[in-house]
Amino acid sequence: MEMNIVIAGEAGQGAFSVELELTETLSRLNTHFFATKHYMSRVRGGHNYHMIRVADHPVHALRGGKWDMVVALDEETKRLHKPNLREGGVTLSREMTKEIGAAAKEAFGNIVASNSILVGVVLAVIGASPEKAAEAAEPGKEEYLKAGFEFAARWKLTGALPVSATAGEHRKFDGNQALALGAILGGCQFVAGYPMTPATSILNYFSEAASKLPIHFEQAEDEIAAINMVLGASYAGVRSMAATSGGGFALMQEGVSLAGMTETPVVIAVSQRPGPATGLPTRTEQGDLNFILHAGHGEFPRIIFAPGAIGEMIALTRKSFELADRFQIPVFILTDQYFADSVQICEEEIPLDAGSREYREFDGTYKRYQLTEDGISPLTYPGLSEALVRLDSDEHDEEGKITEDQGMRIRMTDKRRKKIALLQKEAVLPSFYGDRDAASFVLCWGSTKHIVKEAAERLTGEGIPAAVLHFGQVYPLTPEMVAPYNLEEKRLVGVENNAGGQFARLLKSELGLAVDHAVLKYDGDCFTVEELYQTLKGVLS
Amino acid sequence: MEKRIDTAWCPGCGNFAIRDVLEQAIRELPVPAGKVVLTSGIGQAAKMPHYLGVNYFNGLHGRSLPLAVGIKLARPDLTVVAYSGDGCMYGEGGNHFLHTIRRRLDLTILVSDNRVYALTKGQSSPTTDPGVKNPLSPEGSRNIPLNPLALAITMGAPFVARGFAGEKEHLKELIKQAILFKGTALVDILQPCVSFNKINTYGWYKERVFCLESPMTDRYEAMKTADLWGGKIPIGVIYRNESAQCRQVKEIFRKQATREDMECQVDMKCVMMR
Repeated sequence: MEMNIVIAGEAGQGAFSVELELTETLSRLNTHFFATKHYMSRVRGGHNYHMIRVADHPVHALRGGKWDMVVALDEETKRLHKPNLREGGVTLSREMTKEIGAAAKEAFGNIVASNSILVGVVLAVIGASPEKAAEAAEPGKEEYLKAGFEFAARWKLTGALPVSATAGEHRKFDGNQALALGAILGGCQFVAGYPMTPATSILNYFSEAASKLPIHFEQAEDEIAAINMVLGASYAGVRSMAATSGGGFALMQEGVSLAGMTETPVVIAVSQRPGPATGLPTRTEQGDLNFILHAGHGEFPRIIFAPGAIGEMIALTRKSFELADRFQIPVFILTDQYFADSVQICEEEIPLDAGSREYREFDGTYKRYQLTEDGISPLTYPGLSEALVRLDSDEHDEEGKITEDQGMRIRMTDKRRKKIALLQKEAVLPSFYGDRDAASFVLCWGSTKHIVKEAAERLTGEGIPAAVLHFGQVYPLTPEMVAPYNLEEKRLVGVENNAGGQFARLLKSELGLAVDHAVLKYDGDCFTVEELYQTLKGVLS
Repeated sequence: MEKRIDTAWCPGCGNFAIRDVLEQAIRELPVPAGKVVLTSGIGQAAKMPHYLGVNYFNGLHGRSLPLAVGIKLARPDLTVVAYSGDGCMYGEGGNHFLHTIRRRLDLTILVSDNRVYALTKGQSSPTTDPGVKNPLSPEGSRNIPLNPLALAITMGAPFVARGFAGEKEHLKELIKQAILFKGTALVDILQPCVSFNKINTYGWYKERVFCLESPMTDRYEAMKTADLWGGKIPIGVIYRNESAQCRQVKEIFRKQATREDMECQVDMKCVMMR
């Protein structure tokens, strides 16, 4: 059983607060859910909606199709979402939510209590017990939830769309929280940034964490300053990260090249939104893969991760810091507004031991860019030992001194390039779902993972076998990643949240794989399972 | 200076004198040279760290200051000096110059100010006087020059000084004072460029500079002094504010979060939910 609800209204009317409180309470009630939002780039007015899928089984994507329940906080909701309510579904009309607002003022002298009353109504609709709901309520809000249950009873909605609580021990995160947590577990101690949707909540997390942990967050005057501060901090000895969206990353590019030349370890999180330029500031797209692939002038190695699940996001972000240090390169985490703003529960075990840097000491003969067999020079930090640590953005010799010696230029370029072979060996293999013998494979990357997985499973269940390969590492791509699947003999469908099929082109150029059908979406929304299922069915039948 | 080093500067460049002074100043500091970090940007002046026995991060054009900020925030135990030219510090990095001062960190900003772009062969810099002709301003520079001292005082910098490459002993003391000052300190250094600035030569400066007897402590008096140019040019500490508060930086280097901290973080109990 599942219940799909949309809560809609103007910005500032409380729909976001309802989503936060409802998901928090569902989590405490051990109920599976997935929640995401569609919001405008404004603080008040307009029309925003919050979509929550509540289920008696794990859910990690929007179902799509018809709503089971519509909650109207404004008049627009009736026009926009009511036609999409399934027959027999539940509506809380604008009149009903107004009544809740009036009751909140009258009974509690607090209009904000109406958010919690609404949460109570929804909990009653899914058949939660009032006692358990009171236990799960945020302290001081028990009475509000109770009032919600009473409204539901009066409107004869109690248990109208029952969903049982079946989740085990878990934690709940949105994508950006998972990313930030992964960074802290990776030993990240310094973040500098300039706010930009949809990356701002990563910075929020760090500024908050910095008040308790040995972490520093600095708000930079611009993204150029941010990336340079981050590189300065990394050079000085602490694991560091920059986080931004495409437009901010455009300003950071020179810093990426600087990291490449100076071999300074750095992790850069880019949360994508539709471009070009300002684009759709609060919507989603996977449009910056090409940009990140090629960002920064000159030639230097890099790794790009694009996780598609909470556990994967935590693990790969954590790993990014290890890899950045080990290979002294920039490592990217590519995410997007959809994943950043989607809240879901994670039942996987999260390792608690935080990573940390190695602090090696050397004598006065230390050379920061010592030429070695594998291209990796010993790394240390200023002021730890006799070693002077000298970095230069110019081509440099082993000591880090500026040089125009062409022999040295070739040796240093080769040294940097030697790491490419090492990175290939470290590549994170894609996630595979389904039957290896399936004639059709759906290839995807980043945030679409669970949407594709669920749509393919539905097709397979209906006798149209479709296997899924999801790439959590999108660069480098290595032959080992696809070796087990005989992809040359399969019908390949590429699913991407962009207009150009950027990952399909990368598969072609890196692995020689030609995608037969491209399923692309670029209106600013993510796919839903229903939508993708219908499209794939058309392609594969 | 080590003879084996092949500097990229022209014979007679003011940077040679500044290099000697800087090397002595660092040696005379009560801090081991290994604890000193220089950051620099791009330009002839920005090559300075290569010719000194210190740690350095020679970064990109205009970015010596954000590098310095990142280093100081990560490692307050290090003595951090940003060194670059007028084009790098006041032009390409102008925004960082403003905002770094606002951060109230214990940093030193040294600027080789030759009032011209030298590495790119003689174009106007932010401090070039109006009317000065050069390849990109054949009819003479049209812009009014940026006054780094007045700007720094306006932004609230607590230590603002001007030195002259032709007064080495005086410059050395200024640099030492600036580095030892607890707070953001600027020393704008008048640096003759023998190749591209035929106006502000050693002789031109020698006729005009005079040493201030003692630092100004009144901001408005200091602004008036910072405004003097052309006839008499003051060198020395233009403004010094002992009561300005330097920001305390939390120690994070080699400090690890505890397991309890991590549990709290993983449970999201420590994170505000909105």
